[in-house]
Amino acid sequence: MLIIILLFFLFSLLQNSFFVHFDILGAAPNLVFVFFFLLSFFAKEDMPYSFIFFAITAGIFIDIFSYTYLGSSAVLFLVVGGLLKGVQSVLKSRDDSQPLVYFAPLFLVFFIIYEVLLSVYLRFIDPAQTLMIFDLKFVVAAVYNLAFALIGFFIFKKFGTGNVKKV
Amino acid sequence: MKSVGNLSIYKKSNVWLKFLIGAVALLFLLTVINIFSSPIRNYFYVVFSPLQKMFWSAGESSSTFLGSLLNAGSLNVQNEKLRQENQQLLSQIAFLQSIEEGNQAQSDVSTACQNSGFKLVMAGVVGLDDNDMLSINKGTADGISEGMPVINQQNVLFGKVFKVYKNFSTIMLVSNKSSIINVKVQQTDITLPEIDGVVKGTGSLKAYLDLIPINSEINADDVLVTSAIDKSFPKDLLVGKITQKQKNDQKPFQQADISLFFDVKAVDNLFVITNYKQAK
Repeated sequence: MLIIILLFFLFSLLQNSFFVHFDILGAAPNLVFVFFFLLSFFAKEDMPYSFIFFAITAGIFIDIFSYTYLGSSAVLFLVVGGLLKGVQSVLKSRDDSQPLVYFAPLFLVFFIIYEVLLSVYLRFIDPAQTLMIFDLKFVVAAVYNLAFALIGFFIFKKFGTGNVKKV
Repeated sequence: MKSVGNLSIYKKSNVWLKFLIGAVALLFLLTVINIFSSPIRNYFYVVFSPLQKMFWSAGESSSTFLGSLLNAGSLNVQNEKLRQENQQLLSQIAFLQSIEEGNQAQSDVSTACQNSGFKLVMAGVVGLDDNDMLSINKGTADGISEGMPVINQQNVLFGKVFKVYKNFSTIMLVSNKSSIINVKVQQTDITLPEIDGVVKGTGSLKAYLDLIPINSEINADDVLVTSAIDKSFPKDLLVGKITQKQKNDQKPFQQADISLFFDVKAVDNLFVITNYKQAK
């Protein structure tokens, strides 16, 4: 658990200070979201509510480095995590031998859901903000984050232990 | 059968009860955290600012390195040098023009920071979020307060202090979606009337020019500097230049795409003007 907390913090530092220099068309990777998604996706069946801990931890670290209220991202992550668990429980009835087949599209869908929710929230606290625009920058952001998610997927697949299952 | 049904209802209401308790507990936790959000944020920044600074510098060096590899050798470095020289010259032009126009005597503040008497506090850049908010490692303990203008050594305007904590601050960049700045087009011919407009941020480190009167003549490469209309910023700070104008005769105002002069990712230190008097 402590390692997970430290990793969340490290990723939030990296995405705010290091990876901003490696943006593509203004899109930078959201490592905290990617890590949260991976943890929730690979969470063991006997710990179905572990995503709550991951969501609160990830959300608070993201908010520390932003101007929004502390914990607001935690709520967004809780929504995303809850929906993910719901979808996974439905998919569990199917063959689970090729999780990559549904990991990539699931990640993209939930990335979009997260960005839309975030956009609505930012608009709520600051009416000057525009709502989500599905432009080239958004597509690039989705692909960029997916690339990191896929790297993480294979790492989790190979080394997943403790709170996460090894597939 | 009735007992099985009752058990099912009991289990459902139990789940809802747990959910409700969890939601209330979370709400309470978040409320408490937000009451202490300033010291919590300040603590994290104070403790981990050196690490952030290290990552920022590492990212800057790595991206410059990769960029130079892709762009064949020293082109990037040379480009950066020329860009800085250009900004310095543009800033000097603005300063000389305003002396010629005789505005300096009537202005409440100095027009250019080289001889302005502005009190500057140098701050290190440590982070940038995806809402065009920059973090610097100076705060109230260093005399920073909200609304103070932030520039670089070439008098390029970066933005203003948005939120300030004890040891760090967040800067709203001019490209932030909530940022609106009054600007004027720098005229090479000082006999021409002043053209005023506003620069509005669109996010992703970009902005555009708006509210230029339809009958005003603007051109690509025209330089934009701050005007002193609303006194939020000292005048004649460099903002950007016009890249393409969008004129529509059906509208009362014309707009233009602009290229901002600031380069957030290539900057290590910025300067906060701490003694500029702003409009209330």
